[in-house]
Amino acid sequence: MGSISFRNVDKTFGAGAIKALEGINLEIADKEFVAIVGPSGCGKTTCLRMVAGFEAASSGDVLVNGKAVTAPGPDRAVVFQQFALFPWKTVRENIDLGLRNKNLPAAAREEAIAGALRLMSLESHADAFPHQLSGGMQQRVAIARAYVLDPVVLLMDEPFGALDAQTRVVMQEELVRLARRNPRTVLFITHAVEEAVYLADRVAIMTRRPGRIKEVLDIRTVRQSENWDSHPKIEDVMDLESFVHLRTHIWKSLREEKGFRDV
Amino acid sequence: MTLAGKRKAVIGLTTLGGVIALWFLTTAVTGLVSGARFPSPAEFWTSLSQISGRGYAGATLLSHALHSLKLVAMGFAVAVLTGVPLGLWMGWSRRVEAFVNPVFLIIRPIPPLAWIPLAILWLGLGDAAKIMVIWFSAFVPSVINAFTGVRNIDRPVLEAARMLGTPRWRMVREVIAPAASPMIFTGLRLSLQASWTTLVAAELVGALVGVGFVLNMAQQDIYPGMILVGMLTVGVLGWATTVILAWIERRALAWNVAARD
Ligand SMILES: Nc1ncnc2c1ncn2[C@@H]1O[C@H](COP(=O)(O)OP(=O)(O)O)[C@@H](O)[C@H]1O
Ligand SMILES: [Mg+2]
Repeated sequence: MGSISFRNVDKTFGAGAIKALEGINLEIADKEFVAIVGPSGCGKTTCLRMVAGFEAASSGDVLVNGKAVTAPGPDRAVVFQQFALFPWKTVRENIDLGLRNKNLPAAAREEAIAGALRLMSLESHADAFPHQLSGGMQQRVAIARAYVLDPVVLLMDEPFGALDAQTRVVMQEELVRLARRNPRTVLFITHAVEEAVYLADRVAIMTRRPGRIKEVLDIRTVRQSENWDSHPKIEDVMDLESFVHLRTHIWKSLREEKGFRDV
Repeated sequence: MTLAGKRKAVIGLTTLGGVIALWFLTTAVTGLVSGARFPSPAEFWTSLSQISGRGYAGATLLSHALHSLKLVAMGFAVAVLTGVPLGLWMGWSRRVEAFVNPVFLIIRPIPPLAWIPLAILWLGLGDAAKIMVIWFSAFVPSVINAFTGVRNIDRPVLEAARMLGTPRWRMVREVIAPAASPMIFTGLRLSLQASWTTLVAAELVGALVGVGFVLNMAQQDIYPGMILVGMLTVGVLGWATTVILAWIERRALAWNVAARD
């Protein structure tokens, strides 16, 4: 079980100087994939950091499974934009740290690591150091490190933002496969509209600062009725009329927010 | 060895050969520099064989050198074992920094060599005083660089470790210390240099054995050949310990891209 609730959440930084978020209300159901899009600086990362427990709300409540978030923990795994791997640990050791922290026996850890490596096609890189891997590979390690914790919610902050266009597409397709095969609650931050529509069950659109939720769009109903997941390639989905329609709607909505930078 | 590395080695050897040739020319061949000011290669060789065989200033070169090496190793080790943990702790905890920093601000501007009289007053001319002075001089770079190393850790790396539920002690050993280790090693290099400087100074002022003592005796005996032997011995020892430290650093930081050049 891993629901996420934002209830009337405000966030102000630096003694009232910067009002980042205002009156955020959002309910994310267990095993639902929600993407947040919005102009840069609108407070997307701040939302995610409050669920992760790195940042506290100035007022209102951030709940996971009905309980207020107080500190970071392995029940809410984070995939950072800049990967945030431990460069002095090998791929295997990076994935292992969270398992060791859970005091799992060695055999169970071995099995979980092998599973995570297979899931992300990292088997042949298990003993490499992060600097020996490409950006896409490093982000696979970060995702494996998060997945292996078996978290109730997965928090991803522009995880593909630092990747080149081709790698990005591959990772998006893999994340879709992963999310459908092994569904869990995902809060996914992006400023790429297509990515949001392609991946998410619902897309929340935010206003510019102070960030508010402007609109929440249901994607899942369309995805299922139009059978998007039968197309293995992202470009085929992006060609469908139903996809184009949703994408254009979000574009227009964002365009109204001054200060939205084209991606 | 790479091609560029080979070139560098050839150039280095050429320069060294040039310096030695110039030494021969100015002292032995032309007599431009008198033997009372700087020894000729032959005089240097005589001094070296004397101290290596019969000995000078109460012992052979080997015992003098080993004694100095031992003191540097001990002073350096004590400084690193106390300085690095303190630096890490100060980096990790603002409160510890607030407590320790004022003391540091007072002590830091005092040149390490200024501690020598006090150390000799307290502990005499023996090893303890020298270890103490080396400790004081090598301590500061170890602390400051470990501290800076912790403060410069990327925030997401720390947050990733917290998110993974890493307990406190494991956090220090497996995240904080390795993340700060490139800076820690920078501190160790500075500490090692400081150790040699301080040791020689301390032995010059008051000692009964050691390379600095050899230098001191040779100066009183007006013995340029032996002075050069003492100087070069310090140089070789300092160089050898630096090479060992660099080797350890390369092994410990094999994961670090920035260090592989
Ligand atoms: N720790 C902080 N201190 C002060 N201001 C911050 C801090 N974190 C974020 N902000 C500000 O809050 C606003 C929202 O930031 P962020 O959540 O990172 O936006 P986004 O991820 O949507 O680009 C920005 O104006 C940013 O400058
Ligand atoms: Mg952001």
